[in-house]
Amino acid sequence: MPDEAVPAFDLAGCLERVRQRDQGAARELVDHLYPLVIRIVRSHLPRRVAEEDLSQEVFMKMFTRLAQYQGAVPFTHWVSRIAVTTCIDHLRAQKRRPEFRWADLSENEAEVLDAVMTNENDVQANDAMASHELVHKLLAQLKPDDQLVIRLLDLEQKTIAEIAGLTGWNQSLIKVRAFRARRKLQKLFQELKRKERS
Amino acid sequence: MSSNLQDPRHPWARLTAAARTVPDERDTAAPYGFATRVAALAFAHEETVVSLFDRFALRALGVASLLAIFSVAWNYRVLTAEPSSQPVTFASSEELVMPAYDPVAVVLDIAD
Repeated sequence: MPDEAVPAFDLAGCLERVRQRDQGAARELVDHLYPLVIRIVRSHLPRRVAEEDLSQEVFMKMFTRLAQYQGAVPFTHWVSRIAVTTCIDHLRAQKRRPEFRWADLSENEAEVLDAVMTNENDVQANDAMASHELVHKLLAQLKPDDQLVIRLLDLEQKTIAEIAGLTGWNQSLIKVRAFRARRKLQKLFQELKRKERS
Repeated sequence: MSSNLQDPRHPWARLTAAARTVPDERDTAAPYGFATRVAALAFAHEETVVSLFDRFALRALGVASLLAIFSVAWNYRVLTAEPSSQPVTFASSEELVMPAYDPVAVVLDIAD
C-alpha cells in the first residue's frame, strides 16, 4: 500500500509570498528552516549565549537580507552561511578564552584524557560523552576562526570546499587556519603531557 | 605521541572519533510561538525602517522644496531684473566696515 506522501515544502513559492509581505509564509519559512539553523547554532554556540536568541538573530538577518538573495546558491546554503557567520561574530565578541587545566576537568574527563595520552587504544564507547566534552573544552582554547575550521573539519568532517561555501573564506585561508589551529592543539597536548595529571 | 593531529593514533584523532559518536538527541523543532514572534519582529522591523524614511527623508524633501519656492518668490524681482552694466563701487572704505556689536568696547565703557 503506498504511503500517503507528505507534500514537499514549496520553498520558492513560500519565498515569493514572504517577499509580498505574507506573515503566514514567513512563519512557515521559519518553521521549515529552524532544524537547519538550530543544528548550526548548537555546534558553534558561544558560552553564555542562549541558542534561541542566536537562532532569532539568524532569522532576523535572513529576513533583512532577503532582497539580496539572487538564487545563485540554494536558499538553505545561503541561510547556513548567515548562521555560521552570526555564530562566528558572537565567538569573536568573546575575547576571553577559559584556560584549560587538569583541575577543571571532571573525574571522567581527566581519566579519558589521561588514557588517550598514555596509550594508543580507542576511547571506550561509554566514555564518548566525556570525549565530546573534552573536545569542546580543547577547541575553546583556539581563536574563534580556527575553532570553527577545526570543528567543521574534524567533528563535522566537512571538506575544505564545503567550509569555503559555508564561511565565504577562500580555501587557502581555511588551510592556513587549520594548520595554525592544529599546531596550537599539538602544543596544548604537549603542555598537558608535561604537566600530566597529578 | 604522534605530532600529526590527523594521525588516527593521536589523542586528538581518538577523542574526536569518540565525540562524533555522541548522538544529538535534542529536539530540532522550533519552540512554540518562535516562528510567530520572529515573523512579526521581521515585518515590524521593516515597517520601522520604511516609516523612519517616510518621516524624515520625505518630510525633509517637502520642507526643502517649500523653502526653495519661497526663496525664489522672495527674490523674484532681483532674479528677473536686468543686470546693471556699471560696475559696483563703494563710496568710501568706511562703508566696507560692517557695524557690529563689540563686547570689548562695552566692557571698556563700563570700566570708564
